[in-house]
Amino acid sequence: MAASSVIDIKGLSKIYGSGSKATVALDKLTLQVQPGEIFGYLGPNGAGKTTTIRVLLDLIRPSSGSASIFGMDARQQSVEIHQRIGFLPGELSLWQGRSGAQVIHYIASVRGDIKSIVKQAEELAARLKLDISKKVRDLSSGNKRKLGLVIAMMHSPDLLILDEPTNGLDPLVQQTFHELMNEFRDKGKTVFLSSHVLSEVQAICDRVGILRDGDLKAVQSVDALTDVKFRWVHVQFRDGVPAEVAQGLRNLPAVSEFNADGPHARMRLQGDFDPLLRTLGAGYVEQLHVEEPTLEDIFLAYYSGEGAGA
Amino acid sequence: MTGAVFIEIFKQTWKQMLAWGLGLAALAMLVVLMVPLFDMQDMKTLLESFPPFILAMIGVGRDLEVFATNEGFVAIGFFGKSALIFAVYPVVMGMRITAEEEDNGIMDVLLSLPVSRAQVLVEKFLAYCVSIVGVVALIYLGVGIGDSLGNVGLDVGRLTEVTFYLIPLMIFVMAATMLVAALARRRMVALGVITAFVVASFSLQTIGLAAEGTVAEPLGTVSFFSYYNAGDILREGFIWPHIAGYIALSLVMLGASLVRYERRDVGV
Repeated sequence: MAASSVIDIKGLSKIYGSGSKATVALDKLTLQVQPGEIFGYLGPNGAGKTTTIRVLLDLIRPSSGSASIFGMDARQQSVEIHQRIGFLPGELSLWQGRSGAQVIHYIASVRGDIKSIVKQAEELAARLKLDISKKVRDLSSGNKRKLGLVIAMMHSPDLLILDEPTNGLDPLVQQTFHELMNEFRDKGKTVFLSSHVLSEVQAICDRVGILRDGDLKAVQSVDALTDVKFRWVHVQFRDGVPAEVAQGLRNLPAVSEFNADGPHARMRLQGDFDPLLRTLGAGYVEQLHVEEPTLEDIFLAYYSGEGAGA
Repeated sequence: MTGAVFIEIFKQTWKQMLAWGLGLAALAMLVVLMVPLFDMQDMKTLLESFPPFILAMIGVGRDLEVFATNEGFVAIGFFGKSALIFAVYPVVMGMRITAEEEDNGIMDVLLSLPVSRAQVLVEKFLAYCVSIVGVVALIYLGVGIGDSLGNVGLDVGRLTEVTFYLIPLMIFVMAATMLVAALARRRMVALGVITAFVVASFSLQTIGLAAEGTVAEPLGTVSFFSYYNAGDILREGFIWPHIAGYIALSLVMLGASLVRYERRDVGV
């Protein structure tokens, strides 16, 4: 199975510094990404997502272990690999004094097939409503991100490696981005994208790897990961939290971690809303706010045995 | 595609090359236009009254006979004394080879393309070498224009070697900057180290000249500036062993930079 993987990472470790100042960024990471899938690489900031991507791109060298892409060693055959991949860094920097079109032309000239790459770049820019005649320094952060996407995709790579791709994109463009990713997958191509935004991963990914403190905790289908079935509920009462309501909520089996502070109450709801709503009826509710679980909540739920499959 | 980085760097740099070249050319022109203001014989008499170490410190030294000519005045007064200024441009360009783009993250994009680290370094190095040639050519043009405008009557041909001798000197400084950046990683650290190196070299050359005949004289020989002596060049033409030294050391530093840059993490 591993032989046909697009990305094959085996026992990959990366340690920055040495001695007492050593920091383990990746700890014996083993991961495979299959052809034709959109793989979400999920983890909080500092988990090691960018470090993994930088090893795959041969920007940094692993302390131990190996990484291969398309069956080629990520270090020894990086030039051949880079011919077939597109990359969008998390913090994109480009030549400030050059226009989008000039940057595209430069990168196309390094890739070789200038005419067809530039043509495809112009089509992508039109879809993303990006004006490539502007200088990079005059582009907003969102438009810079769009330019980064164009650069990553304009040569029709077989693998896209995207680090936090929708950072700074407005919702409409995010929708276009999702469409582009789905079209990309439909062509049998592969996407490896890192994110700390669960909704983004839910929207487009097939499988997800969960990384925490440099350690790959699990690889799951998106459905399994997000099936945690709990929400955070915030309620604001007009005259403070009535004692009988507080008691009733505490007694509900579906409610846990109940917390009242003045007119505000916060609780964790596992399961249906109906018992909660009936109990709240005894007080005057001014506002009700339901918060989706954060990535951290899902991590905690997942590892405390409440998550998918548990 | 081979050469794409070279071409792009040249596109990105030609305006700066023009600005630096024209600025230095204007300075050269100004010095040339000043030549008729001085009577070289009076100048010689005046300088002869100076203590030798003062003459050495102002860069005239044993070249009094040479200095007291129109060409010598320009060669020593401008090319000799401005060597520190000429070192600024190659430092700026050397920082651009890796340090600047690594520091601001552009190198991540560039190295994600189908191009090796060695290719990026070599193509950038060559492109900036061409820009150095451009700057020096403009300086030469400045000397020529100054001569024509002021009807100075310089033998510009004699200044050709003094001018183009700057090329190996400037390439050496750029190669040293590239090596320091490859070793130091951080832009500000690299800039600090190379600035200290250049200033220390210039100071050592000055001390070595001023201390002629004393135990401190050999200090000057460790300065790379000592191998660009405008008076000697004017007298003897290209001093090939010195030029070969600059080129050989530049190539060694290019090679060391390639090895170091190939082995280390980028942008960390």
